[in-house]
Amino acid sequence: MKLLSCPLNGLRNISEFTYGGEYHPTPDHQTTSSRDWAEHVFFHDNTAGIVIEWWCHTPSSFWFLAERNTLTDEVVRTFTPDELYTKSIIQHETKPETTP
Amino acid sequence: MTKQETNIIAPTLATRRSPLYRRHLQYQAHFKQVGDNIVVDSYPNEGAINDEIEIAKSMGLCDLSTLDRTGFKGVGTPQWLASQSFKVPVLANTAEEQSSQSLLIKLSAQEILVLSDLLFLSEDVKRLYQKAVENHQSYDQQIYNLPRNDSHCWLAVTGINATELFSKLCAVDLRSHKFVQGAVAQTSLAKTNAIIIRHDLNKTPCFYILSDISGAEFLWDCLLDAMSEFHGAPVGLSALQTLASNQ
Amino acid sequence: MPFGLLKYGLTKKYPAKHHFTPEKALKKHYDVVIIGGGGHGAAIAYNLAKYHGVTNVAILEKSYLGGGNTARNTAVIRSNYLTESGVNFYSESVKLYNNLSNEFNYNVMMESRGQLTLAHSDAAIRSFRWRAEVNQHLGVRSELVDRQSIAELVPNLNMSEDARYPIMAGLWHADGATARHDAVAWGYAKGACDRGVELHQLTEVEDIIIANGRVNGVKTNRGTIHCGAVVQAVAGASSIVAKKAGIALPIHCYPLQAMVTQPYKPILTPHVSSPQVHVYVHQTSRGEFVIGGGSDPYPLYNTRATLDQRETLSAAALELFPFLTQARLLRQWAGITDMTPDYSPIMGLSPVKNYFLDAGWGTWGFKATPICGVTMAALIATGKVPDLIKPFELERFYRFEQINEAGATAASH
Repeated sequence: MKLLSCPLNGLRNISEFTYGGEYHPTPDHQTTSSRDWAEHVFFHDNTAGIVIEWWCHTPSSFWFLAERNTLTDEVVRTFTPDELYTKSIIQHETKPETTP
Repeated sequence: MTKQETNIIAPTLATRRSPLYRRHLQYQAHFKQVGDNIVVDSYPNEGAINDEIEIAKSMGLCDLSTLDRTGFKGVGTPQWLASQSFKVPVLANTAEEQSSQSLLIKLSAQEILVLSDLLFLSEDVKRLYQKAVENHQSYDQQIYNLPRNDSHCWLAVTGINATELFSKLCAVDLRSHKFVQGAVAQTSLAKTNAIIIRHDLNKTPCFYILSDISGAEFLWDCLLDAMSEFHGAPVGLSALQTLASNQ
Repeated sequence: MPFGLLKYGLTKKYPAKHHFTPEKALKKHYDVVIIGGGGHGAAIAYNLAKYHGVTNVAILEKSYLGGGNTARNTAVIRSNYLTESGVNFYSESVKLYNNLSNEFNYNVMMESRGQLTLAHSDAAIRSFRWRAEVNQHLGVRSELVDRQSIAELVPNLNMSEDARYPIMAGLWHADGATARHDAVAWGYAKGACDRGVELHQLTEVEDIIIANGRVNGVKTNRGTIHCGAVVQAVAGASSIVAKKAGIALPIHCYPLQAMVTQPYKPILTPHVSSPQVHVYVHQTSRGEFVIGGGSDPYPLYNTRATLDQRETLSAAALELFPFLTQARLLRQWAGITDMTPDYSPIMGLSPVKNYFLDAGWGTWGFKATPICGVTMAALIATGKVPDLIKPFELERFYRFEQINEAGATAASH
């Protein structure tokens, strides 16, 4: 079976993981138009080549990112989200609203 | 018939029941009450208590689902538990036995599971439950209660042949030289998700398994089926308690 | 007859007339360029030439005619979908299929053998009843059938109540059919080429030329072509080609794997499908059992076959047909499915003027080939979107008006 390396749990069978979609920075909730939301939610790059995507190790519910080649099915590397998210999303959400 | 007095305790007397109590009734288990918990004392039809200890030393399966446990998740969790004078494991996927006998398991950098001991010596879980209730408002500290009390069943596979059993059901290498005392694996066991913790009962190898409560009967049946070639069998908590207390 | 054959081989009549365009240089200009020489591309060209008099058409195929997902699909034809838009669209397609051999004067080996979908749960029965009602209302032959009828329809099906997922009921679709997928592509291409369409194989589109929001031509590995309109019909590469025109699509590519056994005597008439055990099985007219339905669990542009899928598909097929336990597998393969969020295709206009989309064909492309040819050709020739494909326009995602086609094969997985 194909193996995937989880940053928390190490090398495991691919059947322990769930694919979680392409990595895209989340648009700003307050300012994004519904057209852009539609694009964020439904549309995909669907790149043939190296992509960054979300994966979840199901037994531990641990979400992480992988760089994978969608032509060869080779995983370049896996890494934890804090590499891309330096700020907590929760703090971002609870900051006081400036405009009504 | 020294067990006569325990025989009258039905698993349905307590509000908290094991998801496996129907299986235990099928095996005509004897139950006993310890505090608020009703557990399987032994399975008399399988032999006397001494036989059960021998089974547990070779390959036994025990249901610990009604035993106390709790857990916490969130950025503030490890520091908060350390401030409660707990020994928090440094690495994720390792377990640390406390001086009070309870077991702290670090599931990730921000998530800790706490299991009570088999002899009911420690009050840690009860104490932490009380703390969690008091600290109900402490979301700004980013500590969230995730007890795995009602969401998970808790089983133990014991005995020197246990690793042979896991090699049939699990892709992670759980042999003793790879998966030492205190090691933790969050993985797939019999095609169902499980947390597996190595926590020996003195010299007897023991693996705790926490798995989704809705699949408890499936997992129990799978384990027993896989055990049959090693003459493994269900054992009551008393056998495990004996192994845990004898040096 | 061997001597007759030898004699024929030596006469001037041999080689026989080519069905398709012989190798020749690309022209500088075409009225319409069709990217993709599969069933859909050929069907669009055929309809343009035969019914709209548009014959200055080039089909550009990067490999060979019908060698992509047209060759890789498992040739199931049915119309027992769930949404009104879906049922209307696919049932027109089935009607066209039924007359296709006559239309071509070329045998596409259409066989209306019926399709049986199995329910192993109350929830499945509920959704089947819903599908049957919608289908009957729209003139499609679908009905809910009980265990006894299932046993009569498919006597060798495992009806045991001790099975892991016992069969509780079924959705019987008498219009279900199969046809020879190569013949469909060849028939359309032959008919198109006979009427002046040029089929250029080994011709890959490298870029799409757009000026002022309007498509002007395409750059290929054999030179640049100017044209009035472009349609892309490239299942499995839709996102890649659309990106060249600056168009983003709501598509993820997943490999879908299937396999066939050695040929056996005819024993299974209908097509049998089980959404719950994740498999469909039918026996081809050659006698092979086609076992399909295994989508890979993550996106990939790679048609490799995996042991995982072989195991799960075999296990599922044996659950339904235990007699297959002695069958030997002949081959296993994959096709790349363009999966859309709502399991419906993306057809019609695009943000680029005169650039038309025929994409998002997931696991439902082969059965739509004839109606796709009719509707896309009408759109290109008249500039008006036919009512039948209006619901499938790309713009629906921006309006949050998805067509949730839960009757699609992959949707139930």
